[in-house]
Amino acid sequence: MSYDYTTDLAAIRAVVHRYALLAGLPEPRATDLVLAVSEVAANTVRHAKSPGSLKIWYDSDEIVCQVHDDGIITDPLAGRHRPSLNAKGGHGLWIVNQVCDQVDMRSDETGTTIRLHMKLPRPRPRSLPRSRMATGPGEEYLHRTRRGTTRAWNC
Amino acid sequence: MELLTVSVAASEAAGEPYTLVEIAGEADVTNSDELRRLLDEEVSKQPHTLILDLSGLRFMDSSALHALLLVNRALDRQGGVLALVSPQAAVAKILRLTTADRLIPVFSSVADAAVG
Repeated sequence: MSYDYTTDLAAIRAVVHRYALLAGLPEPRATDLVLAVSEVAANTVRHAKSPGSLKIWYDSDEIVCQVHDDGIITDPLAGRHRPSLNAKGGHGLWIVNQVCDQVDMRSDETGTTIRLHMKLPRPRPRSLPRSRMATGPGEEYLHRTRRGTTRAWNC
Repeated sequence: MELLTVSVAASEAAGEPYTLVEIAGEADVTNSDELRRLLDEEVSKQPHTLILDLSGLRFMDSSALHALLLVNRALDRQGGVLALVSPQAAVAKILRLTTADRLIPVFSSVADAAVG
């Protein structure tokens, strides 16, 4: 999924929330991811000179939201330290680092790419009753298989 | 539909006047300046207690939070008190993460906030 944006952050939030739930990220973590993406995209609104782009993908392990824009972040540790409540800025990236499982940031003269990772709950096939495994998968199985999650079921 | 709506009402509890501002919708970097302008208008009227009812606010980012912190500071300087009421889970989270909820009191009802 790829989405270009300028200032329509509400639309971005709606898209991220929809995909988070689709990927199987439960609340309130889906809301955390929405907050994180919105904070990163807000930096585009503040600092970038052209539209930003959002890409979302997921597999059985995680959902990743990647935000790219032409803004430049010079501090490699941006968002790693809690800013004072009196600070003019810096809360956004700190919040992002607090709510996401992993944050990757790359910034050079061409722009900034930030990847936000959220781990998905692991499927637990072994906890299903044996009879159900033997006679065929339930709806949950089919759903997960459609998402490409077959590895965990080869047991 | 407006992304953010703000409505203001004056009231009183136990003989103490307060200003109640209901903030509903989504507050982010695209409307936080406007939010601050509207709240600054109320601060300039020098209320003793300014209560922000956040029960209709679905989302708040760090820009909008920054606006609330600036309003809190301005009100504090003139001897007034800012109080927040009924933040939804997403808003309560950002208040907690930034520890803003230790600086600005949060209440579960307007009645509680009005009597402090």
